[in-house]
Amino acid sequence: MNRHYYRLILGLSIPAFLWLVPTLWMVSLSFQPNDVLARTTSTTALGLIPIPFTWENYADLFQFGQVPVWFLNSLIVSVGMTLAVLAVSTTAGYALARLEFPFKEPLVVLCLMGLMVPEQAVFIPLYTMFADWNWHNSHHALILPRVAVPIGVFLMMQFFKAIPRDIEEAARIDGVGWLQIFWHVMLPLARPAMMTLAILTFLYAWNDYLWPLVSAQQREFFTITLGLASIQSNFAQAEGLGRVMASGVIASLPVVVLFLIFQRYVVRAMTAGGTKG
Amino acid sequence: MKRTILGATALLLAVTGATAQEVTVGRFFGDCEDAGTDTKASVGEACIIQSIINAADAELDGVTVETLPTDWGNYYDQIKAAYAGGTPPDVHVMHRHRVPEFAGIGALADLTDDLENAGIDPADWEASALEAVSYNGRIVGVPMDFHANLWHVNMDLMEAAGLVENGAPVLPSSPEELLEHAQAVKDATGQDYLAADFAQFPLGVRMVLALIWQQGSNVFDGDTATIDTPEARNAIAAVTQLFDAGLANPQLNYADSQQAFLNGEAAILVNGTWVVDFYASEAANPETGLSTYHAADFPTLFAEGATWADSHMWAIPSPLKANDPETYAAALQVLAFINDHNIDWARTGHMAVRTSVLESDAYAALPHRDEYAGTAEIARDTPPSERYGAIQDVLNRELQAIWLTGKSVDGALSDAELDVQDLLDR
Amino acid sequence: MPRHPGQRFALSQRQAAVVLLLPFLAVYGLFLVYPFFKGVWISLHDWNLMEVAFNPDAKAYVGLENYERVMWGRNIVWGALASPVLQIIGLIGVCLSLFLHRTGRAGRTTALTMGIAAVLLFVLPGFHPGEEGRWFDRRFWPTVGNTILFVGLAVPGVTVTALLLAAALNGETRAKATLRTLFFLSQVLSVTVVTLIWQIMFSPRQGLIANLTELFGGTPITWLTAEGFAMAAIVIATIWWSLGIAMILFLAGLQDISKDLYEAAALDNATGTQAFWHITLPNLKRTITVVVVLQIILHFQVFGQSHLMTNGGPNDSTQVLVRYIYQTAFRDSDLGRASAMAVFLFVIMGSFSILQFVLGREKDQ
Repeated sequence: MNRHYYRLILGLSIPAFLWLVPTLWMVSLSFQPNDVLARTTSTTALGLIPIPFTWENYADLFQFGQVPVWFLNSLIVSVGMTLAVLAVSTTAGYALARLEFPFKEPLVVLCLMGLMVPEQAVFIPLYTMFADWNWHNSHHALILPRVAVPIGVFLMMQFFKAIPRDIEEAARIDGVGWLQIFWHVMLPLARPAMMTLAILTFLYAWNDYLWPLVSAQQREFFTITLGLASIQSNFAQAEGLGRVMASGVIASLPVVVLFLIFQRYVVRAMTAGGTKG
Repeated sequence: MKRTILGATALLLAVTGATAQEVTVGRFFGDCEDAGTDTKASVGEACIIQSIINAADAELDGVTVETLPTDWGNYYDQIKAAYAGGTPPDVHVMHRHRVPEFAGIGALADLTDDLENAGIDPADWEASALEAVSYNGRIVGVPMDFHANLWHVNMDLMEAAGLVENGAPVLPSSPEELLEHAQAVKDATGQDYLAADFAQFPLGVRMVLALIWQQGSNVFDGDTATIDTPEARNAIAAVTQLFDAGLANPQLNYADSQQAFLNGEAAILVNGTWVVDFYASEAANPETGLSTYHAADFPTLFAEGATWADSHMWAIPSPLKANDPETYAAALQVLAFINDHNIDWARTGHMAVRTSVLESDAYAALPHRDEYAGTAEIARDTPPSERYGAIQDVLNRELQAIWLTGKSVDGALSDAELDVQDLLDR
Repeated sequence: MPRHPGQRFALSQRQAAVVLLLPFLAVYGLFLVYPFFKGVWISLHDWNLMEVAFNPDAKAYVGLENYERVMWGRNIVWGALASPVLQIIGLIGVCLSLFLHRTGRAGRTTALTMGIAAVLLFVLPGFHPGEEGRWFDRRFWPTVGNTILFVGLAVPGVTVTALLLAAALNGETRAKATLRTLFFLSQVLSVTVVTLIWQIMFSPRQGLIANLTELFGGTPITWLTAEGFAMAAIVIATIWWSLGIAMILFLAGLQDISKDLYEAAALDNATGTQAFWHITLPNLKRTITVVVVLQIILHFQVFGQSHLMTNGGPNDSTQVLVRYIYQTAFRDSDLGRASAMAVFLFVIMGSFSILQFVLGREKDQ
């Protein structure tokens, strides 16, 4: 049994390493000088070990270019979107799960139907609307469309439904109003679910590509994901492979760190979001 | 005197706290961060244009210039999206071939009556440059260059194959000779004769187009697509024979084909004028496989000379002229500045558009310039069309289908003709 | 009893519901419901992106013409054997679902879904241009075909790999947890980082794969520009990228399988592979279905891989639906046609969403 177990782990370590190779390679290339990379990418150990080594690519990245601006945009958009999604999802999710009011059932169905509409089916009309309002090239233009996606409401609704009624009823008997119950009783209970939703939203916001590509035409409003797309197409002539790879590493750092710290929540978020991508 | 007054005004404005007029510039050509303001020292398209823009920012009083470079692949998608969103840059670069598409709906400002005041003299432009920026008799842009397809030559490989005479490469004058030369290079050096981007951007298309024009034909005429022709078959056969004989590789994209040429793995690279100074500087670098570089006119394989050509030009969106006269005036100053630095832009390898520059000694002294002096004579392009981009895509797709996926020439040409006809009918 | 400070203004349940729902409903209505219907409305117009921006009246109502120009052609006929392979598979599928339902081996919903899919497979490929006929848009159906091919390669690839990994890595040891993390890591990267890495991995000159091939004396493959390899390349990158979710869902599914089953099987000498076939797989049937449907929805929206790695080439062999929509809208400025395609995409994805919903319901029962 034990020997079998170690053989399994060992056997799986090789594919796991191979799985990691592309990422390692990106990191390694980002630490090699551009003029060397222009000639060959396999100086040491197929290029997997950064010898010759240089910090220059990262130094350049922060000295020139717009990577810091893009990074900041990504941060603003991701945090803004996360907060907005949390705000509307917890409130609406609570109301739909626990309050009684007319036309509740049709409303739930209406919200569920929104889950069927993919981003790609609305990005053209959204583009024309935002153009009419002069909204493009702004942070809110990048944030708002995703806030309308009802996945968060759906998740929070499921969560609130699972909380035992008696907690709420005790507060009602004490004469506490509905909004106070929501704020003082339910929200603290919902922290784990909110965490899950927050991570799901943050990852989505950080990595979204199609909508920023359409809405942000000015480089100063690019997110890092979009900016990276714009420099990878002409790396051969302009920037140098090492610099582009360094940008890729910088773009990935926050999500990787977030993942490693909150792994448990990320996994739960994926499972929960898995019911709808 | 005028400059002093302008300077004084600028100083006054600065003192009273008013900010300078900001002009945003949209362009492709790639990024160059440390371009500086020395327009004589920069190398390569990206850095030369950026140094000119930086110089405009530094030298023009009361005008600050902000650059919004965009990557090549999405440039026109993004500039259109910006127009439609009401946020186009104040000045932007474009190709002559896009004029019908943009000017046709009134997107470009009519500059005809404002050039003189801004210090731009259209009379100094070559006739073909004036034509390039005109739409319905009005001037809608300031031309910056002509650029065309050249044959970039590795003289050492050609020499080894006995294809050099009097210091100039011997280039083919017929499709048969093309094959002979290619075989000679292969036999003598083991390397490919010719490389080009046949797999990504439409550089292969431009080569085939040139060969079609050389036979007096074209891909469309007015509203009628004329692609499925014997001339097109001849043109394609001339290129495809090299692939079939293993003397060229159709699977290289832009970066790979350029790398192959710089590594000394191909005697000829078919690419534009925009890389002449770059290849010249690479040839001087002992670490590359290219040491003796020559730039040649696209050879005539059929009856008449022809090579694909286009123009870069600068335009101002019409809403700016209508709504914001101050920024419009500042934008015109930027255009005038770029127009004044036509000679600096020509250092890329592009051909200048101003007669006074073309006739100057400084222009004649640019490296390799005399080697492709004949290109201006044979420059051609397809007829103007609002669907230029989409038509190029159709041709690129179908030619790639022949070269990369083994589609029959008959099938590809008839499909291309139907698709282009569809586009012309829309 | 202390009076709660808020009680003086206490809202009725109805009022509270309105206050709490209003922010979401406002955003939802404005940025999802309304755009959705506006998209349908645009699809009924001849609508040029730039022209309408400069002159709002430059759009014209054309009814269903955009749909016709995109999906139909001149002289389209239907034949029972126009594309024999697909249609025969469709026919076999119809018979199979009937048979399975009759013999009680498949539930009603499953049989019905299978049946509908099979009928569509029989009917749809039967349409083709007759003599002198042709599709109005020659690229649309091949693009749909490429998208389906991509889904058809990526979904089984992801599902099988993820299932095997999940089965092997199910357990509480530290080593297994670390390995799970490693396999999951690439999932959090953005599509542009993934394409950046793989574009250069696949490069015939600078790529790691090419370097490795040359080390062993081979000739590097020009992955991204060779037909056949290009689609494989973006599928490989996609599997590498999106294995994580599927693996996690399988792991969650595996948790629900009772340990007793394995112990009982162990008594019958069924361990390892045998246990996998006879216990793990049958008990994971629902999870597998959910994962497959989820992946289909996810991968039908593929855009970045094709847009950034291959530009849809060579010869359109990696052109996918969302990229075609994007190009039609923003390169060709034809918002009408692009919207018609977007509605088509919605219909397909909507059907899968309904399917997923139905399957989810079945699970609850």
